[in-house]
Amino acid sequence: MLLEMLRFVRGYVRFDVCGRYPERFLNITAHHGVRLWEVERVGEGFSACMYRSDYRRIRSLARKAGVRLRVKDKRGLPSLAYSSRDRVGLVFGACAFIITVFVTSMFIWSVDISGNDKLSLTHINTLLKDNGLYVGAFKPALDAKRLADEVMIDDPDIGWMAVNIEGSYASVEIKEKAEPPKVNDITTPCNVKASRDGVILGIEAEEGSAEVIAGSGVVKGQLLVGGVITGSDGSARLVHASARVLARTKRTAEFSTPDKMTELMPTGEVGERRSAEIFGLRLPFYFASVKSPYALSDQQFFAPSPLDVRLPVGVVVERVTALELRETALDESSVKELLSKQSELYEAFTLSDCTVESRDFELLDTDGVYTLRVTYTCVEDIACTEPIGTDENTDLTKHTAPTEDER
Amino acid sequence: MKQDKKDKKRPAFLPALGAPCIELSGNREVLIEGSRGVLEYSPETVRVNTSDMILSVFGRGLDLRCISESALIIDGFVTRIDFTV
Repeated sequence: MLLEMLRFVRGYVRFDVCGRYPERFLNITAHHGVRLWEVERVGEGFSACMYRSDYRRIRSLARKAGVRLRVKDKRGLPSLAYSSRDRVGLVFGACAFIITVFVTSMFIWSVDISGNDKLSLTHINTLLKDNGLYVGAFKPALDAKRLADEVMIDDPDIGWMAVNIEGSYASVEIKEKAEPPKVNDITTPCNVKASRDGVILGIEAEEGSAEVIAGSGVVKGQLLVGGVITGSDGSARLVHASARVLARTKRTAEFSTPDKMTELMPTGEVGERRSAEIFGLRLPFYFASVKSPYALSDQQFFAPSPLDVRLPVGVVVERVTALELRETALDESSVKELLSKQSELYEAFTLSDCTVESRDFELLDTDGVYTLRVTYTCVEDIACTEPIGTDENTDLTKHTAPTEDER
Repeated sequence: MKQDKKDKKRPAFLPALGAPCIELSGNREVLIEGSRGVLEYSPETVRVNTSDMILSVFGRGLDLRCISESALIIDGFVTRIDFTV
């Protein structure tokens, strides 16, 4: 393959040799360092190939050997260039091609990011762009090591990073910083207090002395498990109280919506804008606009990706959908459905740590505004720790459990 | 040990003594290094002069794939090789 390319570049001729002693010609050319190949016997003579440059100096050798030469074919780059010497456009095209390849190889064509888990590609791309690495960046101006260091300084969530530039393709490998596990504080003396009002259902005290019993009602901030343990000899010992206190609590949430809603709805008018993107530079070539002041835009990028490498040229198609403001009146059933969905979302996200036992719904209509009031009865852990203060203002008086009458 | 002594007596590089070096790839290709010229060339016979002998390659459809000052490659279906000393 390499030899054939070399022959093509240097140019060669295929010729016929006729004469009485063609073998003599073979020996003379070999003696003068002229290389022949593809020698085939044809009748009395033979045909062979030799370099174009050698053919000029073997005429005298042929006379010496008593043979006649006849060129059958000229092949290779010099012949091609000679035959197309009048076609200036071809020469310009070849030159333009070489220059284009040379110039475009000085820019980054594609940036590939791998190894990210929590960090988004958009965020990393923005960081890289701020530090000079993007599709269309001038390659000689890039210092991969410095760039990796600067990006790591900019974002402390990146633990390690490497930028490898191979040709016009930049691959970025990232290792995100591992968060150290949270260490629970088990040494600081503290009490367990109630985080909400409720009725105690059960108490599991791991450390400390329980101050309430199951069935008792508690208010927010009330001491549940004390961190001060008094010994039989009257001495006090401070511990890190910890407990799981299950209580039945009540929560109220309100969701409201007006009886008339203004929404942005598509009018049906759609416009499409197209632009060519070359090395990050956008050149619009097809415009379309919609009359509405409100519009929804959706962009799609089409680029050839041979061997999974996205090339820096492509077409961006932007679909613009016109929107208009429409006022819709809501009836009671649709309001109920809408507000129920909001309450379900509230339950799923805000009450995720609670077990909801029951729900009471109440729909109110006041001055064109519907309000859904939901009262949840939940079972949840209301224990929260609070460090025991050591300053003189700290209230160290023991909380007295409510008597039967108080309950 | 005896085998080693025999190996030592044999010249390590025959072309240094002026003998041609012949390399066969099955019976389809013959490389001859140390040729002094082609004496006869036809699709059935190629006779090559070396310093001490004449090497005759017989076969069918013999071609000279490449020929230089001191080496040549013969392509084709080789049936016999003769040495004339």
